[in-house]
Amino acid sequence: MRVDAYLIPAVDGVAYGLLLAIAAAGLTVAFGAGGVLNLAHGTLIAAGGYVAAATSSGTWPSLAAAVALAAGVGAAGGVVLAAATAALQGRGHLDQALLTFGVALIGADLLTTAYGSDTLRPRLPEVLEATIRVAGHRYPVDRLAVLGVAVAVVAVGYVVLHRTRAGRLIRSTVDDRAMVAGIGVNPRLVDVVVLVAAGALAGLAGALTTPILGVGPHTADTALLLSLIIVVCGGLGSVPGALAAALAVGVVQTVGVTSFPAVAPYLLIGAMAVVLLAHRTSLPAGASA
Amino acid sequence: MSDPRPRPRRGLAALTAVGLLLTGAACSSTATDSGTVRVGLLVSLSGTYAAVGEDMQRGFRLYLDTHDGKLGGRKIDLVVADEGDGPATAVPAAQKLLERDQVVALTGLVGGATVDKVQTLTTQRKIPLLGANARPAFAPVGGKPRDLAYTWHTSYNSDEPGIAIAEYVKAQVGDGQVYAIGPDYQGGYDELRGFTDTFTRLGGKLANPDGKTLFTPFPATENFLPYLNKAAETKPKAVYTFYAGAAAVAFVKQYAQSDLADVPLYAAGFLTEGSVLTAQGPAATGIRNVLNYSPTLANQANQDFVAAWSAAGHPGQPTTFAMASYDAAAVLDRALTAVNGEVNGEKLNDAIGKVGRVVSPRGDWQFEPTEHRPVQRWYLREVRNDGPVLSNVLVQDLTTLPAS
Repeated sequence: MRVDAYLIPAVDGVAYGLLLAIAAAGLTVAFGAGGVLNLAHGTLIAAGGYVAAATSSGTWPSLAAAVALAAGVGAAGGVVLAAATAALQGRGHLDQALLTFGVALIGADLLTTAYGSDTLRPRLPEVLEATIRVAGHRYPVDRLAVLGVAVAVVAVGYVVLHRTRAGRLIRSTVDDRAMVAGIGVNPRLVDVVVLVAAGALAGLAGALTTPILGVGPHTADTALLLSLIIVVCGGLGSVPGALAAALAVGVVQTVGVTSFPAVAPYLLIGAMAVVLLAHRTSLPAGASA
Repeated sequence: MSDPRPRPRRGLAALTAVGLLLTGAACSSTATDSGTVRVGLLVSLSGTYAAVGEDMQRGFRLYLDTHDGKLGGRKIDLVVADEGDGPATAVPAAQKLLERDQVVALTGLVGGATVDKVQTLTTQRKIPLLGANARPAFAPVGGKPRDLAYTWHTSYNSDEPGIAIAEYVKAQVGDGQVYAIGPDYQGGYDELRGFTDTFTRLGGKLANPDGKTLFTPFPATENFLPYLNKAAETKPKAVYTFYAGAAAVAFVKQYAQSDLADVPLYAAGFLTEGSVLTAQGPAATGIRNVLNYSPTLANQANQDFVAAWSAAGHPGQPTTFAMASYDAAAVLDRALTAVNGEVNGEKLNDAIGKVGRVVSPRGDWQFEPTEHRPVQRWYLREVRNDGPVLSNVLVQDLTTLPAS
């Protein structure tokens, strides 16, 4: 077997994994820092995707507008969720799950009513629709572009979270809310900012996925499920964990499906089961926090 | 906690009572109007295949609208119900049409699984089921083969597209091998089996390493690139496939971006049928596919049909789904003409058995006498620009199925 037989699927896996990382980062940050178990996350991703698909018309300015609008719509969704979950303060994750799941169902229904039941895809500038040669193989430019954007987003996210005052505040809120309040910052305000940022990440992920996978009635469910798998595998609330898990899931989804086609449908769930078994002592404690 | 509960219940009871009164009133008003016939149209108005359901509804209504709302000289009261994603939603909807609305015929039905379940309901009540889309291979019930006396289809069996195109593909590739790939569910098995069985019987070889079709997880997989690049390593002379809906869009787009881009792609026509073609865009150009209909067929019935479709303001060109539903209305039109006096399921069913040749946009066809499905011509089509729009342009006739 030639090495390059695995090269292209591996590149593909990394690109797909980074995409999933952006999608899951929003979910894990909202849970870890905002304390909100947000089951409407997939719906925000779908909303971003629909807005991007409807806005992008094949020119560069429309593409830029589409990405910005998608992130904006996701952020607006984050504001709504912050307002809705504020009333549930201190009532546990089950109430949050019920509320956000209800929001998810209503939102998904509104999206299908507004955009129809077809799978939509944005029109990209011609350069992005083309393919280039990588090690003798054809490879789509749009995926490379998404790969680049995803790397940039992950890098910016890391810098903000670990090298800025805002990032330090967010991380402190996760560890000790009372201490944050003690230094004169309202932890509830941090929660809101985190939820809005998580929503913007979800919208952005939606915009980045649509050129490759399209956006349709199933997008919300699929995106939520994959994000949950990644968050569980990567550890609840951990951004580096989500990144590692997302890359692993991406590679499993691309290399795994062709190398072990017979068990492909079970690979992801199997991986999650292994992680859960390995963590079986620590996870319930973290989940009930 | 115990107090607020009875209130919604009481409200519900009141609502139900009002509903019953209203339907009672509706029934009595139509019962006096003896010239009206009530027909049930069961299609997906929601769920994965809502686009197909909408197309089928447009086709049926187009026939009604171009015939003064009458079939066989009788005013038609069309009752539309939602099939949803399959039997779970479709069976209650069908029961409502049969029991409360008392329809004399049931048409539409998007999914094969729905047909399988609803078929027993209509047969029990002796109401003709005039399916206008998927027809499953009916599984025996209680060890006995299905009674097909009240079951009719204006569409096709799922393995027919593959059977119809296999000989043509064999001639195109000569001694070369063909890679077969499709979705992992019943529709995928039927479509691919039709092709691979006929193709190998003609001496063709599959390029797939184990000689078996590659089935991709459905509906989980929309990232086909890994499968396509893997398939490219077998150096096939051509690829044969069947996908529909969202998966069809992803497959076609990614095929054009994969190492297989220069390898000819043959397919069951659903790959590029209807709204998916618009979404696929230029990536679909050149795909050769097989179906029982092309909007560019040159017969008079089709020209009228396509013109009426545009005049009604529907987007794009009519599909095989719209056409088969339009034909279901045409069959009912002819059958109702032959029914004397009051219409009931049995009389209508006998009349459907005697409609003979149906003049249709797909070319004239008739029911196969025992299986009650069309004996019809299959066409090779190619995706090309037809004026400003992409279209499945007719290339040539392939064969007539089922072969007698």
